[in-house]
Amino acid sequence: MQFDCCSNSETVVSRRDMLTQVGCGFGAMAFAAMLAQNSMASTILGPDGRPALVAGKTTAKAKRVIFLYMAGGPSHLDTFDYKPELANADGKNLSVGRGSGQLLASPWKFQQGGKSGLWISDLFPNVRERADDICLLRGMKTAVPAHAQASVMMHTGSFQFVRPSFGSWVLYGLGSANENLPGFITINPGNGNGGAQNYGASFLPASVQGTRVDVARNGNRGGGGGRGQATPDEPIEDLRNDRYTRSAQREQIDFVQTLNKERQRREKDSAIEGLIESYELAFRMQAEVPELIDLTNEKQSTLDMYGIGQTATDGFGRQCLLARRFAEEGVRFIEVSQGGWDTHRNLRVDLERQCGAVDRPIAALLTDLKQRGMLDDTLVIWGGEFGRTPYAQNGDGRDHNAKGFTIWMAGGGVKGGLSYGSTDATGGEAVDGVMDIHAWHATALHLMGLDHSSLTFNHAGRDFRLTDVKGRVVPEIVA
Amino acid sequence: MPITHRLQSIPLCAAVLLTLSAAPPVDPMDDDAMSGSSMSSGGMASTGMRQKDPSELTQAEISFFESKIRPVLSGACFKCHSEGSRVRGGLRLDTPDAMLRGGDSGPAIVPGDADSSILIRALRHTDEDYEMPPSGKLSDAVIADFERWVAMGCPDPRARETFGANGDASKALPISAIDIAKGRDFWAYQLPVSTPLPTVAKEAWPTSTLDFYLLAGMEANGITPVKDADKGTLLRRVSFDLTGLPPTPAEVAAFLRDTSPNAYAELVDRLLASPAFGERWGRHWLDVARYAESSGKEINILYPHAWRYRDWVIDAFNKNLPYDQFIVEQLAGDLLPAHNDREFAEHWIATGYLAMGTKSHNARGRAQFTADLVDEQIDAVSQGILATTIACARCHDHKFDPIPQRDYYAVAGIFASTETRYGTLAQQQNNHPAQLIRLPDNAGLSLGGAQPAQVQRVLQGAYDRTKALVAGAPTDAEIREARMAENRGEKPKIDLQAAQRIRAAQDQLNMYEHLATRFDESGNPTNGNLLAMGVAESGRVIAVPLLERGEIDKAGAIVPRGVPEVLCAGETPELPSNASGRLELAQWIASETHPLTARVWVNRVWLHLFGKGIVKTPDNFGSSGQQPTHRELLDRMSVEFMANGWDTKALVREIVLSHSYRIDSVPDAAQAKSDPDADWYGHMLHRRLEGEAIRDAMLFAAGTLSLERPAGSFVNMVEGGTRIEQLMQFLDANTSSRSVYLPVVRDLVPQSLETFDFAESSFVTGDRAETTVPTQALYMLNDEQVMRVADAFATRLQRDAKTTDERIQRAFLLALSRKPTGAEASAARTFVKHFEQLAARAGSETTEAPAAQGNRRAAQRQGGVAQRLRERMGRAEATIPNDPELIALSAFCQALFATAEFRTID
Repeated sequence: MQFDCCSNSETVVSRRDMLTQVGCGFGAMAFAAMLAQNSMASTILGPDGRPALVAGKTTAKAKRVIFLYMAGGPSHLDTFDYKPELANADGKNLSVGRGSGQLLASPWKFQQGGKSGLWISDLFPNVRERADDICLLRGMKTAVPAHAQASVMMHTGSFQFVRPSFGSWVLYGLGSANENLPGFITINPGNGNGGAQNYGASFLPASVQGTRVDVARNGNRGGGGGRGQATPDEPIEDLRNDRYTRSAQREQIDFVQTLNKERQRREKDSAIEGLIESYELAFRMQAEVPELIDLTNEKQSTLDMYGIGQTATDGFGRQCLLARRFAEEGVRFIEVSQGGWDTHRNLRVDLERQCGAVDRPIAALLTDLKQRGMLDDTLVIWGGEFGRTPYAQNGDGRDHNAKGFTIWMAGGGVKGGLSYGSTDATGGEAVDGVMDIHAWHATALHLMGLDHSSLTFNHAGRDFRLTDVKGRVVPEIVA
Repeated sequence: MPITHRLQSIPLCAAVLLTLSAAPPVDPMDDDAMSGSSMSSGGMASTGMRQKDPSELTQAEISFFESKIRPVLSGACFKCHSEGSRVRGGLRLDTPDAMLRGGDSGPAIVPGDADSSILIRALRHTDEDYEMPPSGKLSDAVIADFERWVAMGCPDPRARETFGANGDASKALPISAIDIAKGRDFWAYQLPVSTPLPTVAKEAWPTSTLDFYLLAGMEANGITPVKDADKGTLLRRVSFDLTGLPPTPAEVAAFLRDTSPNAYAELVDRLLASPAFGERWGRHWLDVARYAESSGKEINILYPHAWRYRDWVIDAFNKNLPYDQFIVEQLAGDLLPAHNDREFAEHWIATGYLAMGTKSHNARGRAQFTADLVDEQIDAVSQGILATTIACARCHDHKFDPIPQRDYYAVAGIFASTETRYGTLAQQQNNHPAQLIRLPDNAGLSLGGAQPAQVQRVLQGAYDRTKALVAGAPTDAEIREARMAENRGEKPKIDLQAAQRIRAAQDQLNMYEHLATRFDESGNPTNGNLLAMGVAESGRVIAVPLLERGEIDKAGAIVPRGVPEVLCAGETPELPSNASGRLELAQWIASETHPLTARVWVNRVWLHLFGKGIVKTPDNFGSSGQQPTHRELLDRMSVEFMANGWDTKALVREIVLSHSYRIDSVPDAAQAKSDPDADWYGHMLHRRLEGEAIRDAMLFAAGTLSLERPAGSFVNMVEGGTRIEQLMQFLDANTSSRSVYLPVVRDLVPQSLETFDFAESSFVTGDRAETTVPTQALYMLNDEQVMRVADAFATRLQRDAKTTDERIQRAFLLALSRKPTGAEASAARTFVKHFEQLAARAGSETTEAPAAQGNRRAAQRQGGVAQRLRERMGRAEATIPNDPELIALSAFCQALFATAEFRTID
């Protein structure tokens, strides 16, 4: 067991100081990103020679992440983990520890897709066509088969403690590439199961926390009711001014800045520069964000590709298209959520509906990114907090399963057309190429050019990491 | 001695669970997502009857268990249902916790409800699938004994699970490589000593002890302190620092006029005596105490009684409770002698400090939950009071500081022998309810706030709907039966999804019913609301085992209770064998022979007045923290602080009266180059105002700030938690209060605070971040609350003064505590005039049909979807103005709020 958790480097303190003192959040992030690109990171990170950034544009392809989070725990056995033996064993009794019941064969057929011939079920016919872009991680496991813990685990690497989210770490490590937009956006996140913790900054600088964007859509939200002041016509809190026209507000801001500049002259307050700039950024965001989320200027063929305008796929299609637009604009980490995967019963009906809502939009997203030359540097991740049991629950359902499940990644330097890892014969437990959440985080960071063991932040007396004392990069899946 | 007859606490029902995550109780999605067959542990079920702790049992109850129950359990059940057995069905019966937690089919027992207890049904052979024991039905007499036992509430004297349960006394403690004696060489572990004043060249400059040290440092580094701040700047600075509020225009005028040499000292004394002092400094401590009114983490459950601790902290600062006493009461107030009921209650409320931390209420294992609870307490106490990261030694010896792992478990034993009473009600998502502390009736304590009529209406409506839903609900047994039928592939007799919803509704109903024990029919709080969070002796003094890698199932040698050895430069406490040792721990911490306690507090006070600590890592004095910039100064002040009776107000007074505090915040050219961050204190820092002070100052300028303390907290009056966002609409009546009284629900912090780097209430936060992000600008420019306050400010200006020029003068005084410069006044005049013209020309041009906009937004809010917990700062009836003059003035007032100066202490 290694205890890298406590390797102390003052270097990160200096990075923190830089991030909080350089001034404006986005400016600071852009600054950090710029330094990274210029390979100056090591000088910023300090003399210990352990820069957080893995040097070299050669290994790191991914510049951004789109995380398609399937809240509730989608069944791997009916989608991406092909288990012919399960089909043969349908109805047999399975008794393993506490988990027991009659095995349930998947009601859906599996077929091979792409040149690689990955087996994917009929629930994902469109995604199956993109099989050669996809790397299936069939040996996933996580800590606890309860939604809240597993969700927080997946998003922060810990369910025991409050820790910064995956997206916050990525933004902290790489900075934002667009100073007019937040660097970490989460579209329609669920409210339960950790809620804001799933995109929180915890002890990282507040500027790297996820910004919640709420947009209109049909269908499911990421698993909960409604926290958040933001409404479909005000996707980010306080983004619009209800009283003044843009030109009137400009006059008001000009007056504020007149007073600010007067003060700057008088007080020589070094922090004021960042404050002045923050008003200008805010003003630009007001114009830019609504334009960005307005899909009316997309071609009809694009809308059709994402299934926008069709009841089943409209909601998730819009979110996927939005994710692409945010990605284009340089947002570093984009999360899209879809709830409703907790199929304890009614599997045949509910899972068909769930997959029907996301299959086409996801395939469209992959296609769209590829057509725009963005798939190579965009890491697309699909998955839920855990999988389901091979045995039946309530006759037509499956229970939670933390011991084995599948997520997949595409683009961003990951090997396409690969199936890595596997579960046992009937799909209950990961047995080969096993990846826990830490390994997955470490590998995803690696694909972003970040060394998980060096991306640290000093808090409460020690250096913390997304992977804490664990995690290892799985080189087999890196292209 | 304490009035022991009051020690008995009420059942867990007094607190109420609230899941902020959930949709209304009948939302099938959430229900299914979180509960149901997959989460078989329901904790205690719905009778509301609590299984007593072993210490509460009567002799008759104990002997009933020992003679009638235990022999049967061990004879007929343990073979398959105990640790080390096959644990059939995931069920263990060898500990009370395991029985409650149950196995695959749910809790084995439901205290008070034999019919719903699977154990009883299995013994009765009610269901085919559960005929126990398999060897044959027990005698009717035995079954009757078990039925009676469940009806009694399952009294069970067996030890509750703790993470100390599986320790092995025969094992030896691991040898640590840490050299404690050498570790004590580190500055922080040596007792502070007073040094003679350093000599300085500029002898006339220092006015207090600390000035000598700071000036000596400046002179050694070639820095000359800048000129004194002008009186107006100093007044605003000290007012915000001591009370979190700006001075009134009258105070500004009086102070500028007063030329007597004592004017400043008198001002300081007045500010120290103001109740606003405690509200300002209490909040600083609440940051350290990770104060919040909910559990946070995965399932955010409200803590409706946390506010009593908040008020206690504020009062403690206002009473100037000596800091040593302040600490002892928070750690062991329940063990202190009290002279009357009031003091008794206050001592106990103070221990809320230990109950305030984040918790995973939906965690399954009791032992893990307890270990995490204790860990959180150790972390809060060690970082908050000692600036030492003892929790780093949970899994291994501390990597930087001389704290071996065994020391962690020595401290853990003290807290493991303590019962933490944080309340909450058993529910599907809460496996770990606890008791609360019942406070005495006639101690003159506040009962809390009354529920506004609208809140009552919402609650009543929700109650009626829930009640209707629950009526005719299937029993737990019927649900189980249906589930088994479904598992067999048969069609169940009842609709299981509907049953799930009803089960959730039942939990809701419990909440409403418990709420009725705290509020009468008119919504007024009753004596039933005299509850507090806190700690008590558990009655079981245990030492816990060292856990290898901190893992609960890797118990090693038992570690005797104690304190970290390296911190015992002064003395080592003797812990009693018949009590947890919490009192001794507290007294050891709050002692003059502790190397850290006074230093850490002096440093915290310093930080809030100078913008940075002498040790810049206020929560970590260890070797991974920073070294003090002026160690001799810190030591001398700490020694004097203790000698002076741990008098916090005197410490604050000494600092703000010093010359160093009174100098200007504009660096001279030399310092701007060589020492812009004022490392040598040659100039003061510009400091960002916290969210609380920004909001308070806005309301203050508008004249709508209420300086009265509100009764209780909004969180206290809403038990039907799923409605909280909707209920927040009715907060108006309560929202002119100071920001320190706004509800602090973890992850749902009011926007006005969260936007401005509010302390993350999951951690000890000694030094808040200072970020500048566009969301702050968006808030100042666009937020409805800010605009409403600006409207009120503008209305006040119209009332207070006749001409635009006078109004501008007045506005600067109220918002910035000074008159505008000529250039500023002229810019303001131009802005107001032009904006007024714009507004007058056409409402549609300047303001996008303001009234319609307002109504649309109001309508959205009424919808209750996508609501966020946010305070209402304006008056409820406020509408968007149509008068061009008022619109222009409001825009001007809002602009003043948005300026850098408004948001900064100079």
